[in-house]
Amino acid sequence: MTISWIQAAILGLFACLCSNSCMAGQAVGNYTIGRPLVGGLVCGIVLGNLKLGIACGVAMQLVYIALVTPGGTVSADVRAISYIGIPLAMVAITSQGLNPLAGSAANLAKSIGTLVGTVGTVLYYAVATMNLVWQSFGWKDVHKGKLDKLTAVNFGWPWISHAIFSFLPTMILTYYGATAVTALRNALPMDGIAMKTLFTVGGMLPCVGIAILLRQIVNHAADFIPFFVGFTLAASLHLNLVSVTVVSLLFAVIMYEVEMSKGSQGPQGPQGKSGPVPEAAGTDSEEEDI
Amino acid sequence: MENTNNLKKLDKKTLTNSFHRWFWGALTCFSQEHMQTFGYMASMLPILRKLYPEHKDQVKAIKAYTAFFNTNPMLGSVIVGITASMEQARANGKEIDGETINDMRAGLMGPIAGIGDSLIDGTLIPILLGISLGMSTGGSPLGAIFYIVAWILIAYFGQRFLYFRGYKFGDQAVSFLVGKQGAAVRRAISIVGSMVVGGVLASWVNVTTSLKLYGSNGKVFLNLQDKLNSIFPGLLTVVVTLFCWWLMTKRHVSAIWTMLILVVISFIGVLVGFFNPGLSY
Repeated sequence: MTISWIQAAILGLFACLCSNSCMAGQAVGNYTIGRPLVGGLVCGIVLGNLKLGIACGVAMQLVYIALVTPGGTVSADVRAISYIGIPLAMVAITSQGLNPLAGSAANLAKSIGTLVGTVGTVLYYAVATMNLVWQSFGWKDVHKGKLDKLTAVNFGWPWISHAIFSFLPTMILTYYGATAVTALRNALPMDGIAMKTLFTVGGMLPCVGIAILLRQIVNHAADFIPFFVGFTLAASLHLNLVSVTVVSLLFAVIMYEVEMSKGSQGPQGPQGKSGPVPEAAGTDSEEEDI
Repeated sequence: MENTNNLKKLDKKTLTNSFHRWFWGALTCFSQEHMQTFGYMASMLPILRKLYPEHKDQVKAIKAYTAFFNTNPMLGSVIVGITASMEQARANGKEIDGETINDMRAGLMGPIAGIGDSLIDGTLIPILLGISLGMSTGGSPLGAIFYIVAWILIAYFGQRFLYFRGYKFGDQAVSFLVGKQGAAVRRAISIVGSMVVGGVLASWVNVTTSLKLYGSNGKVFLNLQDKLNSIFPGLLTVVVTLFCWWLMTKRHVSAIWTMLILVVISFIGVLVGFFNPGLSY
């Protein structure tokens, strides 16, 4: 599999739309186009291998299922994960001759995607820094009373930041990266320690993503219980995720009723557990997150 | 400012315009220094133009929005709606000044960011993604399409609802988010989130060991993975996840360092034969 300049340019355009400070808006850009699952769909269509694209997208999505960016700090960049990492992973998997739907292909995708996504953070800060230039225009306009120009400051000028730090890097890295990744095949044999480690790490990386989510959700040891129940339902009883969700709704309704009746009996709830419920949301969310 | 007989009222078109500017532009001109400030100013422009026909009044009014602003952009649309209603009151001569508006914004952006990050990014999106991942087996695009449609509908109409709720009820609008009922709803949703995340981990992540011990007759007398499965299926996966959680929460290791620690563990594991991904061409 190779990536042509046109394909690389299309990926570059999507990269402009989806970064954390994205040209397609937060909901559509960052939260939709930027999600690796959707990125996998787009890359699959652009590179002409839908199944492989989705498989890579699914693999990457597991690592970044908890992509929270509190206070604008990021430790992974969605544009790099979805539109540089996934295409390169697709090329790597094809050149290694792996079955796209096999677990080893997914693990390779996770390793490549996570590496690219982490390094890609630099693009995020580059765009944010360059936007300071447009903002300085904006301050001048505000002081001079030229309010009509604010629209261009917010919606127009930042395209230049993205042209330089989203479009160009994505286009160049996917075009030349594809060749480099294909060359890796000869450099690193599959049965060597390096590749074995790479695949093993790939298999474990989603644990970090899930752990970050747990950090958000878990405030007391007891909060682990619904997580374990969900895990057991799927691992031991082999329920699929929609079924797990349906079962969880029952517990959610019960929890809602318990919480609502708590207040009428004073701050100490029926369970005698005085969880700081209203503050439970995001007490840890000020930290750097993936 | 003229405020006597005819009270100014923002029409739906102006409000929708302002909302759309927030929806599409909350973070387009993002910098670490001012974050969402410009997105906020851009979405207040239609409101100010409508309320203050005089250009100099517009220029005066926008000064209130030059202060730093950053919150969760999804739930944050309620704050924009609230300021729209405050600005309308100010234009009608109520005793509201830029400082009042800014105090409200500064007071709300922290809690809304905390609630939004845990409710939207930390719970709702993982639930949606978990379900979508389940639909993606075998490389099917169905999951991705489901996510796109479901999320955009929720995001657009949810934010729109919040914006207009903010406009209608002013700062009363957030009570359902931060009040008792809001807390109960959040707690209930977090149960769904935790269980789905547990399900995602079990369905999609599978850390296994290849460790086998051979007896003198060459037969396997200990297949560790089989033993672990008979205790609790997926035990190693849970152990690795809890280890990462422990590192990040209790030892305050960053996500990137946690990943690097996993690299070291994998490397050693591969060397001693604990891990073997079983690769072949």
